[in-house]
Amino acid sequence: MQLKFELAKYDEAEDKFELDETMYEMEIGDEDAQTYELLKSSDLNLYNWLKASDFFLNYIKEEVYPDDDNQKIAICDINDISFRRFYFFKVTSGESHYEYFKKLFSIYEESEWQDREDVGKEILEHLMVKRQELIIDLKVDETVESDDREV
Amino acid sequence: MDKQYIDKMLLEMDKDLSKQGMSRRDALKLAGLSGAGLLMGTTTASAEEEKIVKSNAKGKIVIVGGGLAGVSTAARLTLKLDNPDITIIEPEKTSVSYQPGQTLVAAGIWDEEDIIYQRDDFIPEGVKVISERAVFFNPQENQLTTDKGQVVSYDYLIIAMGTQLDFERIKGLEEAGRALSAGNNDKLLDALGDSICSIYTSAGSVKTWEIMQKYIAQAKSGKKTKFVFTHPDTPLKCGGAPKKIVYLTNSRLKEAGARENAELTFYPNGGAMFGVPEYHDAIVGQFKREGIKHHYRHNLIEVDKENKIAVFDAKWQEKGPWDPVMKDFEVIPKHEKKRVAYDFLHIAPANIAPREIGESDLGSAKGWIPVNKETLQHIRYLNVFSLGDIAQVPMGKTGGSVRKQYKVLVDNLIALMDEKKMTAKYAGYTVCPLITDIGTVMLAEFDWTVKPTPSFPLDPTVERWIFWLMKVYALKPMTMYGMLSGRA
Repeated sequence: MQLKFELAKYDEAEDKFELDETMYEMEIGDEDAQTYELLKSSDLNLYNWLKASDFFLNYIKEEVYPDDDNQKIAICDINDISFRRFYFFKVTSGESHYEYFKKLFSIYEESEWQDREDVGKEILEHLMVKRQELIIDLKVDETVESDDREV
Repeated sequence: MDKQYIDKMLLEMDKDLSKQGMSRRDALKLAGLSGAGLLMGTTTASAEEEKIVKSNAKGKIVIVGGGLAGVSTAARLTLKLDNPDITIIEPEKTSVSYQPGQTLVAAGIWDEEDIIYQRDDFIPEGVKVISERAVFFNPQENQLTTDKGQVVSYDYLIIAMGTQLDFERIKGLEEAGRALSAGNNDKLLDALGDSICSIYTSAGSVKTWEIMQKYIAQAKSGKKTKFVFTHPDTPLKCGGAPKKIVYLTNSRLKEAGARENAELTFYPNGGAMFGVPEYHDAIVGQFKREGIKHHYRHNLIEVDKENKIAVFDAKWQEKGPWDPVMKDFEVIPKHEKKRVAYDFLHIAPANIAPREIGESDLGSAKGWIPVNKETLQHIRYLNVFSLGDIAQVPMGKTGGSVRKQYKVLVDNLIALMDEKKMTAKYAGYTVCPLITDIGTVMLAEFDWTVKPTPSFPLDPTVERWIFWLMKVYALKPMTMYGMLSGRA
């Protein structure tokens, strides 16, 4: 099975994301394909699985950013599933993104009174935390490497 | 429960029923209720008592706020603890007054004495009361300080304070200040004058009826009369109340034969009549049927009392440019001031948390108490719980919500005191008996699923006379004698 994906680079100093506008493609084995099929209907579970999967991380380290060990990245899109709103949401973003985040963050306010701008600001507050959970740090863990050497 | 009160209530109910040619038994059958269930909220007091297992857990419990939420919680704790040590901090002597009745007072159906109750008549035996206001909270030291300088220590703290009614944010009404539902509100009523009213205080509901009658008389005299109603841009206790007063005004105008000279317009801040689509659709249909106008996304920001002009911040959205990164069109918010002439203006004021909570370490940025919405335990201070209007719980600002919350809170607090796992969960239930006319109510029940959750086997979007009977005759005794005794 083929995975097509796009990434965003995270600028820690500026605390912002920049779209890497390249579409990457990789082949995955049958077992991983089965896991993908199982998780694709639950976007954040899919994300967390990829974030923790050696096959995916190694591919990015070796094929996508081979010369940049300190890069922090996030997955923007994977096949037809998009995570862009986590990094690029703004108060003026479309209604579908509001509905998604209201459910995700349990921003369940009485819609008969609430201003869109207030909800948007609340979503951004939640995203400040959530984004940090999604960032994938490609930094080589020197401690582990040195421990490995000793072993 | 006070038998004399129930007998009187049943007598009044029977009179009303006989006008409709129906017996009480038939009416209750129609609603699928037993008499006891109707009064006690589906469980009898004796059955409830049998279920209560007392705990010998110990600890000093302080409850800040002696309204419906605070006193009901204290009452239930006294039922469930062997040796309760409970203190309520509440300065207002009429804090347990029956707020759901304010709409009925405002429409001349009840009198003020039907809703005013003395706090001390409902304080459970053995519970201490400090008639002062908690103004400073020190949760790190498990202490608080009152406005008279008394330092109160606790092992467990329950915050059950009400909201403040922020009239002073409206330009032209600065002198009204912030009000509370109960107590002396002379300053507010002076500031509002003789054409502006609000059912959100008990005294204000009396004044609303006076002003309503004045302008119904004006319409009846043949003069075109504009009735304007608002809904604010904050969370609101009993979010249905601003619409109930629209319906009741409409009903009284029809009754007086003055409806054709009256224009009724509702200006809610939000973009819908109700958060639950089924109830929203029903209300829009009722407004259309009754010829009541409405304009969404209007927030009252100013009142020109001299010229009788209400100024709204009117908001709308326009389709913005294509966002290539998000692959979607942006939405651009727009707004402008809109001036609306009125004869009668009903204000549903912004509801805000007391300053002392927002300024303390217990409060959120907006001043509410951040709790786990299911367990009602504070998210940082685990010996602190909150319920009712002040708790940061979605859709939780009604007596119907409190009725579910206080039992959950008590079970979880006792579990904590017993060093057991907290298992009780609040599921977001709330209820709004939406009065749509004198004699009909649509019983809007729902929870966090945003779906109707009817307790009765009847279409919940239909206005029913039987729910009117429940609202007018049964809910008050269930609240005042059932909930406030910790049983219903």
